[in-house]
Amino acid sequence: MADTLPLSIQLSWLIPLYGFAGMVLSVPWAAGWVKRNGPRPAAYLNLLVTLLSVIHGTVVLRAVLALGPQHLDIGWFAAADLDLRIGFDLSLTNLAALELVTVMSLVGQVFALGYLDKEWSLARFYGLVGFFEGAMAGVVLSSNLFMSYFLLEMLTLSTYLLVGFWYAQPLVVTAARDAFLTKRVGDVLLLMSVVALSAWAGSLEFNDLYAWSANNSLPGLGATLIGLGLIAGPMGKCAQFPMHLWLDEAMEGPNPASILRNSVVVTCGAVVLLKVMPLLRISPVAIDVLLVVGTISAVGGALVSIAQVDLKRACSYSTTSYLGLVFVAIALQQPFIALLLLFSHAVAKAVLFMSVGSIIATTNCQDLTELGGLAPRMPATTTAFLAGAAGLTGLLPLGCFWSFGLMVEGLTPRAPFFAAVVLLTNGLSALNLTRVYRQVFLGSAHPKTRRAPEVNWLMALPMVSVSVLVLLTPLVMARIDRVPGIGAFSATTTLMLLASGAAGVLAGSLLPLAAFGSRSLPQPVRTLQDLLAFDFYTDRIYRATIVAFVAGMARITDGFDQLVVNGLVNRIADVSMGSAQSLKLGVSGRLQTYVFTMAVAIVLLVGSLAWLGG
Amino acid sequence: MLSALLLIPFAGALGLLCWPGDLATERIRRAALALLGLQLLWSLRVLLAFDPSEAGMQLQESFAWVDSIGLDYRLGVDGLAMPLVLVNTALTLVSGICTRDLSQRPRLYFALLLGISGAVNGAFLSENLLLFFLFYELELIPLWLLISIWGGANRGYAATKFLIFTAVSGVLILGAFLGLSLFTGQADFSITPVTSAQLGMGTQLVLLGALLIGFAIKIPLVPFHTWLPDAHTEASTPVSVLLAGVLLKLGTYGLLRFCLGLFPEAWALLSPWLAGWAAVSVLYGSLAAIAQRDMKRMVAYSSVGHMGYILLAAAAATPVSMLGAVFQMVSHGLISALLFLLVGVVYRKTRTRDLEVLRGLLNPERGLPFTGTLMILGVMASAGMPGMAGFISEFLVFRGSLAAFPLATLLCMVGSGLTAVYFLLLVNRAFFGRLAVTPPGDPVADARLEVRLPGVALRETLPAMALATGVIALGLVPLGLGRVSEQTTTAMAQLPAVVAGLQAGGLLP
Repeated sequence: MADTLPLSIQLSWLIPLYGFAGMVLSVPWAAGWVKRNGPRPAAYLNLLVTLLSVIHGTVVLRAVLALGPQHLDIGWFAAADLDLRIGFDLSLTNLAALELVTVMSLVGQVFALGYLDKEWSLARFYGLVGFFEGAMAGVVLSSNLFMSYFLLEMLTLSTYLLVGFWYAQPLVVTAARDAFLTKRVGDVLLLMSVVALSAWAGSLEFNDLYAWSANNSLPGLGATLIGLGLIAGPMGKCAQFPMHLWLDEAMEGPNPASILRNSVVVTCGAVVLLKVMPLLRISPVAIDVLLVVGTISAVGGALVSIAQVDLKRACSYSTTSYLGLVFVAIALQQPFIALLLLFSHAVAKAVLFMSVGSIIATTNCQDLTELGGLAPRMPATTTAFLAGAAGLTGLLPLGCFWSFGLMVEGLTPRAPFFAAVVLLTNGLSALNLTRVYRQVFLGSAHPKTRRAPEVNWLMALPMVSVSVLVLLTPLVMARIDRVPGIGAFSATTTLMLLASGAAGVLAGSLLPLAAFGSRSLPQPVRTLQDLLAFDFYTDRIYRATIVAFVAGMARITDGFDQLVVNGLVNRIADVSMGSAQSLKLGVSGRLQTYVFTMAVAIVLLVGSLAWLGG
Repeated sequence: MLSALLLIPFAGALGLLCWPGDLATERIRRAALALLGLQLLWSLRVLLAFDPSEAGMQLQESFAWVDSIGLDYRLGVDGLAMPLVLVNTALTLVSGICTRDLSQRPRLYFALLLGISGAVNGAFLSENLLLFFLFYELELIPLWLLISIWGGANRGYAATKFLIFTAVSGVLILGAFLGLSLFTGQADFSITPVTSAQLGMGTQLVLLGALLIGFAIKIPLVPFHTWLPDAHTEASTPVSVLLAGVLLKLGTYGLLRFCLGLFPEAWALLSPWLAGWAAVSVLYGSLAAIAQRDMKRMVAYSSVGHMGYILLAAAAATPVSMLGAVFQMVSHGLISALLFLLVGVVYRKTRTRDLEVLRGLLNPERGLPFTGTLMILGVMASAGMPGMAGFISEFLVFRGSLAAFPLATLLCMVGSGLTAVYFLLLVNRAFFGRLAVTPPGDPVADARLEVRLPGVALRETLPAMALATGVIALGLVPLGLGRVSEQTTTAMAQLPAVVAGLQAGGLLP
């Protein structure tokens, strides 16, 4: 059968390798072996391989549309009863996600050419993005849990390196560390589940696992723990409470990487969760946890984003919030809505972050309170922001409007609480975006924004293209045959959605804007503002609990090691040295003493032998 | 064929020592490197001749040496010894290459290096208990000299500690071997698992206990580990590479070959306790590593932690976990050698290894960017990042052990997470941030903020690059090593069952 498949499908294992190849190709420039003509060639090479992967992905998508889903399988490592494979699941959903990843990577890389214009280590950046893209492309196509884990962990590593890109800055140092460790906690928990499933279910292919989970005989506790481990990995990747801290700090990294991180990396995490979802029937607790975590993240993230004065952070917390909704959708067995929401969010968030990147590149400022009056000065950036904001809120009939509408419509009868959560999140994010828009684009110009020209074409082109894509999302969705038309949900739902969005916009327009360095005067408002601005003090909670615990254990172990284990050894040494010293001084030189000692020793020896023998 | 692996280094060492006339340091070094390179090539030749489809000893050579006490010269190689011999020959070459600016006695130094290499080969290849013991002890004195002559400021203490600990280990191991012969009444010291089945369980446990403690000192496992951090901090870089990469493997090799191989029944009985011991060792090593300030001590404690995985794998004794143990030995050999090499580079350029003092070494022009990049790679490999050797080893160990000892395995995985914590701290503290070398004390007066570190020449990083390539290659294509070892490790994992089956069938007393 394999021979009859088109070449593009047979070679689809190449798709993740394009990104990795881009990384390898950048090495000569990143390592400084080639210094002539600057680092640009590495960037062009990466753009080229990314373009290749977009083309290859599209060709495969067309082939799969014609032939139906395909599966590709290559053995990687086998020993005894263990069989680890590289598997590609070429289904329409996976390929659509792949298209999203590769296209976003391509536009992000073009944007980076403009944004990182004067960056001395441009080649390193492109190498890391290539690594990033390769891992993401592999994750979305992967057909088994082992490969998904393998690549998720690589994503963790590349996030660490990308966040730590400007490693000389003190904030970057902690941000990179926190990003790595938070994700690593999720990954280790996920690894525990992967190992457990490998040991008990045998195969790690998702299809085999689904079959196994349908009639598993694991004890309740084991199944629950496996389920919790499985959701821990995606939770870390998607920056869900309580593992969301890293995304906020990761905003210290270069903006083009933030575009990818906020739009497609979180999507990858959610795609893995989607693939794992059918397995979770072995563990109802894990589903409840997903719901709780998703709800807290959705509402909490939206609330926290409102109190941020940093432009990037105001947008990144909203990522946590939207992914929370995706988690809720997944937990409520609505994979299709989850995918739709992921897609709408990814393109809209990408354009929002490009707009943010343009502002930062032009003004060298990301403090909201120092920005203002940019709308007449940067028209393309303003349009992009508006397009992204419109795509993210359920007010205009763009991507998220349909996703939210379908979700509310589906949930109202059986889980009205979660429908309310969706509406609330919609309202809060509309409020946040309106507030940011007013502060940044309207009003009078501030010193930092007075001379703000529009960005160069390398940044404007991707920004405008993705804005157009956002405006076209309804058309794209209409082409996917399972998306119902405008009449698909009831007037009540439409009204509720519009009302929540409009209420958010209204509240955002009326909200007093924060001035530079100001805080609210009334104490209760101030406390609330601080609570949200400092992200519910999550970092302090971490420092007081887990960090303090590990550090304390380390200190105790080290002290025990020094005092008890090593101390004992040194004591024994001291005692033997000391007794040898005193024996040395006890040597008298008189023959009689030696004869006497020997006689006593012989008597003792013979006596004890006789006693033992008889 | 195998004898050449002993002949090349030993004859080379003797030749170097006895060469008449003066020799320039550089010529001695070249000669030693040529010999070590020849040894590596020869071990590759052995690999080509090795038949991976066979589980037992191959390419055997034997002749009766001192027949009356059962000391035969019998060499053989199987899937357990083959990778370790390769690691040994490769890493001694690396440590020879990275030996630079010797302060004194180059001739003795390289002769000792060759001697160690030969002795370790002998220990891995010997098929006779007494012969193994002979080589095991033979490697001890040269290493002691290497630490105590070319070591750091506090070398006397560290070297003596190492000597005493390892000597005790040797005594325990010899005692166990002699005890086995004494109680079974046979002066036959070949490695046969059924011999011990003639003994009562109590005797088996005592002998196994002695062997276990003997090897636990060498591995080292908590609480017998205190010699290791001291030895590492005082030893020079090449010696650390050798110590971590090769010599610790003698302990784990002994664990698999002799503890499990000679006493399968008693081993099965003790295994739950051993798994618990492994978990304690892993967590203890990892937590202690977090608290270290000296980079070398941190890497040394990480060894304590990572060696615990091998005990866990051996305790579970499933085919997958045994293969994982071999993988972990090889990958730990490569990764820890890589880390020690890089710490050595940092130390040579900055004259300090203190994490409170070093900052921002990744600085592109004035710092050590390439060393830093390799360091990130090394610590990530050690933390078990996929795509590098550490991951597949840990995965195999955990996968093989989970069903047998769920709790201990999960705790060991927590230890694997802690590895990320301390190594990330190392990279973040020393390599990220603004370049500065600030000794404690008065930060204004003593600080060296305008640091310009001497550049690292390509030849200085070549050994590290070679090791890094090996780490990635093993991580991406683990199948080769899997093929070499699988038959042997599977056979070893079935030993307890085989012995029990023989007993049930009445074939054994």
